Amino acid sequence: MDNLPEGVLETRWITGSPTLKQVTDDISRPMEGKPGKLWYVLFGIAVLGLLDLLAMATWLVANGIGVWGLNNSVGWAFDITNFVFWIGIGHAGTLISAILLLFRQKWRTSINRSAEAMTIFAVMCAGLFPLLHMGRPWDAFFIFPYVPNQHGPLWVNFRSPLVWDVFAISTYFTISLVFWYLGLIPDLATLRDRATTRIKKAVFGALSLGWNGSHRTWSRYEIVSLILAGLATPLVLSVHSIVSMDFATSLLPGWHTTIFPPYFVAGAIYSGFGMVLTLLILTRSSMNLQRYITIKHLDSMAKVLLLTGSIVGFAYATEFFSAWYGGNIYERYHFVNRATGPYAFGFWLMMLCNVLAPQLFWSKKIRRHVGALFVISILVNIGMWFERFVIIVVSLHRAFLPASWGMFYPTVVDIGILVGSFGLFFTLFLLFIRFAPMIAIWEVKGVVTEQAHGTHVAVDTHVIPGSEAPTEASTEARTDAQAGDRP
Amino acid sequence: MRARVVIATFPHASDLLNAVRRARREMLRVYDVYAPFPVHGLDEAMGIRRTRLPRVTLIAGLTGLCFALGFQYYANVLDWPINVGGKPDNTTLAFIPISFELTVLFGGLATVAAFLLRTRLYPSKQPWLPAAGVTDDTFAIVIRRPSGDEIHQRALALLTECGAAAVTESEADL
Amino acid sequence: MSDHCNGAPDKLVTLGARRAPAYWKSPEELRDGPSRRGEFPGGLPALRSLTSEPPADRAPGAPDHAGEPADDHDGTTRRDFLSIVGFSATAATLAACRAPEQTAVPLPVATDTMVAGVASYYATTCGGCASACSLVVKQRDGRPIKVEGNEASQLFGGGTCAAGQATVLSLYDSERLRGPLWQGAPTPWPRLDEEIAAGLKAAAAAQGKIVLLSSTIHSPSLREVIARWGRQFPTFRHVTYDPVSASALRAASAQALGRPIVPHYAFDRARVIVSLDADFLGTWLSPVEFARQYARGRSLDRPASLHVQFEPGMSVTGSNADQRIAVAPSALGAVALALLARIARSAGEPDAAAASAADPIDKALLDTVAAELWKHRGESLVVSGANDVAIQLVVHTLNRLLGNVGKTLDVDRPSLQRQGDDAAMADLVAEMQRGEIHALIIHGANPAFDYSDGPGFAKALSRVALSISTADRRDETSAAVTAVCPDHHFLESWGDAEPVTGYLSLAQPTIAPLYDTRAFAESLLRWLDDDTSHYAFVREYWRSHVMPRQDQLTTFDAFWDATLERGVLELAPAAGATADAPAGAAGVDWRPAAAAIHEDLQRAPGRDDRYELAVFESVGLRAGGHANNPWLLELPDPISKVTWGNVAMIAPRLADQLGLRGGDVISITTPAASLELPVFLQPGQHARTISVALGFGRQAVGKAGNGVGGNAFPFTSVARGARRMWADSVAVVATGRHEKLAGTQSHFDMEGRPIVLETTRAELGKPEAAEELPNLWNERPQGEKSWGLSIDLDACTGCSACVVACQAENNVAVIGKDQVERQRIMHWIRIDRYYHGAEDNPQSLHQPMMCQHCGHAPCETVCPVLATTTSSEGLNQQVYNRCIGTRYCANNCPYKVRRFNWYNYTGNPRFDYHMANPVGRLVLNPDVTVRSRGVMEKCSMCVQRIAAGKTAAVKRGTPLKDGEVKTACQQVCPTDAIVFGDLNDPKSRVAQRASNERTYRVLDDLGTRPNVSYLKKVRHGQPT
Repeated sequence: MDNLPEGVLETRWITGSPTLKQVTDDISRPMEGKPGKLWYVLFGIAVLGLLDLLAMATWLVANGIGVWGLNNSVGWAFDITNFVFWIGIGHAGTLISAILLLFRQKWRTSINRSAEAMTIFAVMCAGLFPLLHMGRPWDAFFIFPYVPNQHGPLWVNFRSPLVWDVFAISTYFTISLVFWYLGLIPDLATLRDRATTRIKKAVFGALSLGWNGSHRTWSRYEIVSLILAGLATPLVLSVHSIVSMDFATSLLPGWHTTIFPPYFVAGAIYSGFGMVLTLLILTRSSMNLQRYITIKHLDSMAKVLLLTGSIVGFAYATEFFSAWYGGNIYERYHFVNRATGPYAFGFWLMMLCNVLAPQLFWSKKIRRHVGALFVISILVNIGMWFERFVIIVVSLHRAFLPASWGMFYPTVVDIGILVGSFGLFFTLFLLFIRFAPMIAIWEVKGVVTEQAHGTHVAVDTHVIPGSEAPTEASTEARTDAQAGDRP
Repeated sequence: MRARVVIATFPHASDLLNAVRRARREMLRVYDVYAPFPVHGLDEAMGIRRTRLPRVTLIAGLTGLCFALGFQYYANVLDWPINVGGKPDNTTLAFIPISFELTVLFGGLATVAAFLLRTRLYPSKQPWLPAAGVTDDTFAIVIRRPSGDEIHQRALALLTECGAAAVTESEADL
Repeated sequence: MSDHCNGAPDKLVTLGARRAPAYWKSPEELRDGPSRRGEFPGGLPALRSLTSEPPADRAPGAPDHAGEPADDHDGTTRRDFLSIVGFSATAATLAACRAPEQTAVPLPVATDTMVAGVASYYATTCGGCASACSLVVKQRDGRPIKVEGNEASQLFGGGTCAAGQATVLSLYDSERLRGPLWQGAPTPWPRLDEEIAAGLKAAAAAQGKIVLLSSTIHSPSLREVIARWGRQFPTFRHVTYDPVSASALRAASAQALGRPIVPHYAFDRARVIVSLDADFLGTWLSPVEFARQYARGRSLDRPASLHVQFEPGMSVTGSNADQRIAVAPSALGAVALALLARIARSAGEPDAAAASAADPIDKALLDTVAAELWKHRGESLVVSGANDVAIQLVVHTLNRLLGNVGKTLDVDRPSLQRQGDDAAMADLVAEMQRGEIHALIIHGANPAFDYSDGPGFAKALSRVALSISTADRRDETSAAVTAVCPDHHFLESWGDAEPVTGYLSLAQPTIAPLYDTRAFAESLLRWLDDDTSHYAFVREYWRSHVMPRQDQLTTFDAFWDATLERGVLELAPAAGATADAPAGAAGVDWRPAAAAIHEDLQRAPGRDDRYELAVFESVGLRAGGHANNPWLLELPDPISKVTWGNVAMIAPRLADQLGLRGGDVISITTPAASLELPVFLQPGQHARTISVALGFGRQAVGKAGNGVGGNAFPFTSVARGARRMWADSVAVVATGRHEKLAGTQSHFDMEGRPIVLETTRAELGKPEAAEELPNLWNERPQGEKSWGLSIDLDACTGCSACVVACQAENNVAVIGKDQVERQRIMHWIRIDRYYHGAEDNPQSLHQPMMCQHCGHAPCETVCPVLATTTSSEGLNQQVYNRCIGTRYCANNCPYKVRRFNWYNYTGNPRFDYHMANPVGRLVLNPDVTVRSRGVMEKCSMCVQRIAAGKTAAVKRGTPLKDGEVKTACQQVCPTDAIVFGDLNDPKSRVAQRASNERTYRVLDDLGTRPNVSYLKKVRHGQPT
């Protein structure tokens, strides 16, 4: 699709001007026809990863945490690193569907559905680790404030960030799921009405809740979406802030830092967008949806990466500054050790991937080069994983008493479970793009109609009635001029 | 109650909007409009009042907040005070994250629930579709069949004028 | 006691007649009934012990159940079982109570019958090493589960050592022999006795030599038995052999005093201590006693004292010295001589010049040391661990010239703790090789492993017609003997001991023998056709020999009961001991010794690529006797902190020269021996000397100890009639292999952090104002008590006894080499060791570190499930059954004292140490939960002891007294470094210590408010 005229790329979020029918057909095609070879290859690999996860997790639960490389000095390593990593990934989805919605960014319409799906699957992966990392996972229910019974002290410790996590993560998962499903309902109805087989009719019929496109429903529907977006936005910020408090509220040098909440949120968005980019680049080619996920979408995401990447870089710098300026010997040693100690490679890798790599996005060429975007998006994922690794392991392995300093060396099981979590994630995601509309059909229709007519007859689906951004008008004008296919 | 209705289908959102406006000017009772995506402007055209759902959110949210704060206070101070790291029993600051999360949870879920109730959407509900493809590429206006014949004819004429692809009559539960 | 004892036999008969009762091993089993078949090898110890005694001292009518099959107790019903528990509990207490004269008297309270679940205490004597410390053994439900020092003992006090603490685990070693063997086959005692008697007759008939080869024997009664043998067999002779002996010291005294004795040292009376490679705080002669004296002598209420240590490798003693000088083993003589030259000059000794030689080390330093010694004549002490007659003679002369004899060292009431005679041993081996020995009885010795030429000894052994060993297992030596007659473990046996002349102690069984073993003394008597039981003999000996030497008590029964209860007895020196007084006043001519040393020094120095090797007794395994004891194998060496093996300690500088890193395996070779060991870079190590610990490298000791480390005994040799514990011209070659060291501490630099604080005597008395840290919150309501610990870093020598004591008291799991390498050691108390100063001569610091029981504990706030909280008495308590194992607490603990159960360490074949087999589990303390997989654990400040103390106080109706409850680490500490008590009680010792100017709390600037405080290390006077 890169051979399309520049002008079109400039201004249009959807290439060409498909009719509503075409939109429906294009987007439902993956679910009705056979997917490309690439899909099968990816799915095969993903399932292998999933099997690896099952095997490793079974081995872990059967034998005990000892099969990991943890020790008396380093009580958390890959487990919590993966947890924070996956939670971070999730945030991009919510951000795209909620925050961009509030900011009326039309370009989100093509990608929000898959991004939200990514959120849900990422949170599922993340949720795995708090469970697996417990010494006694079968007693995990202790962590819920259930009705007092014989299980020791009656309630949980509401002061513990781990309990905050439980509430934050479960709320986040619930709200994301509801939001996602709500967005799916109209499309499910569409699919229901074009379904050919009885099973599909039954399934979509059941799931679409009898949706019939009544405008009275539509108008409430939009308000509800806005409300959820309004709730999800502070939620997503709170979730990663709380995750960061797992560390910030402790007294460990390298953990005990007030900058963590904003720093972690920025990092989360950064890593999330990295992952979205990776996924979309894979999806659009494996599902032939270049028309709807255009270079322009990728370009915008690259910009977000540039911004958040810079924020993260700034946070790193701030940490070092306050360590030096604060003059606390433990803090100071920790940061020297971070940059020069036995895990320095992790630190420098993280600097490379999170601070330097995104700076390439100042160049438009790179922002619009699919290959480059893909490589960098992978780098972002790696870098953000190592950021968490550095924060967790490097802080733990050399804490206050030099006598109890130690090292952490990952075992096969550590690595196997990390890889396996990717297996789980991609299995779910690939199933999603195969069996559900991975682009919001009804939202795209809004955008398409708007592109086609350019007037405010049909406009962005999520504008609060009666409030129009003046900038939009001009955009529209330009759109029409170049589109030139007005009736 | 069963009622006779006139159903006009449109290929383009613009004509639809136009038709709705004119129909109401003609004092025709537009029962509802069906579209594959929310057509902006219809609210005013149909004269739909702003929904009260946000109030539900507010109330539910506040309920969640109070419940969370109350419960944590009860558990830590009233029911089972215990010395945790020498901190006081009532460490309100530490209760805030959970309180916030429950506020959001209650608010969100209640809103969606209220929406589904209000719009009578529920699993496996048999939808009433005025015309084929209203969830795909067709727009439809449903008007109560006017009592008088001559008004009825005017209505049909008007709809056709506005570019209706087809105008049919049928019965429906309104 | 006799009255209530009479009841016992009938009960016993009735029960015994029905079925051999099961013996329960744990509270779990008490509840759930006895466990699987064969779980208790050897069947029923309690009953057999009570009934298989020879008729002589069995109450009339008691049947003999010796023949009962071992597993007969299987399938006991629950009712039987419980009744039996009741019985065996009673029986075990009254193990000897059937006949009035067999009363084992519990201490401190004599209970007539033992209530299950209530501990009783018995005084006895430790058989762990040659020091023979007096012990009090805690017995629960018929099982000894913990040993403590006997505070009634003037010598040893309440302290013990790491090895002593672990002896209770050796008792439950599942690999001990189940019964006697004849030519390798299990044989009942009677047949065995016939065979042996026949063999001895043959030997006697042939005028063949009969030799008893034993380690040091402190037991007067046993010595009496041996004397009888001498009378019975004219060709009989007793050779005493200690793998690490004081032979040279004895030989030197023989020359100087006419008596081959080991002086009894009094380090507490010495203000200047100069030690030439004597690790008297770690392993030398009587470490517990010496550590106690040392701490007393250096306490701050005494005038400043000075301790100078000359040694090749860093020892526990050296790490405590004010001044430590690394010298090669070959240079020790020169150092002694240099000191002698100076002292002799000051003393106006004729031809002092004869002593003068080239000073091996900094002259000024020697001058200072000599000056200090001379300045404190009569209150100084020079000791040497060198097993070299010449050096010992010089040292003796030094003490004589300094007028220390009779003041800081007592030659009138000498120590009897190491009587090994290396020369006699050498002769014996020669005779054996010539086939001149007809019968050889080996007791408490394992020369095939620990003699210089072990294999040679084994070969020679095969030329002995009748060889008998009393080993408790088929070890390197007993594998090759005709008959193995396993002796009791000392906790199963009667006995007595006289570690120091005039200081006697009794030993009584605290459990009936687990297996079909027999007391050594009894065996000796049998083979003399004497059927007296060991018990009867000991008692008779005390009636005839000891009773007369005291005048407090008139009737023997009273005397016996009293002594048995007290455990120890001090007597005036036996007449004649002080015959040649004034001891050592007239000095022996030391010039030959000086000449000998000169001669040694003249020998051409070895090539540059040849080094010296010094071997030393390890604190845990000692000479190897404890090599199958998992607790000691996993005990971090007090200096290197390495577990599960010995290492080649080399100076960092030397390592650089040879391009070696820690863990690189080198092969150490002399013409005589060769050994491959991983390198450990030891600060303070002499630049050209390699130190290797002894006791490792056993091949036939058991699954835990086999092949752990390497055996360094082959490097020793016999020179001038004494075992030379070092070798010269040692070649060192890197093998290119690398081994991971199972160390518990890898970083020895304090990084300039305020962790171990020091002060000097000068600074004392002018404390700087410490600012009070603000409290963010209101104080919470406190209970009436507030428990706390105070640890005196100045008293702590780092001996590590507390580590094992804690392990024994709190059922701390042993996890094995692999897991220790992964830094998962489970010890609740560890001893952090830091160095500062120059790498080749650093200052060492030992810091016991356990849960600090913070008032504002960081671990508690982060636990999601409230599994760890603060008790109303200030304890930071861990609730195992609530813990879900997030490890957040451990991450947030600044002291890193929390321990996680990475695996299930109990009953898990993968961790096949004592907790994986039913016998080994007998050692578990029923008062302490055995932790399951996946939960966090840590120091509980021995909360079970606090509870017991409170209960006792309530029963008594009087409040708990300060010092009534002691934590395990406090009780074991020979230097009284640890004090536990109630901080709310201003009169308690711990509270008073807490107000001491030296008191500080580690990392309290974090606001953790620990209840454990430390007293700053004091740097004593340096030589000026």
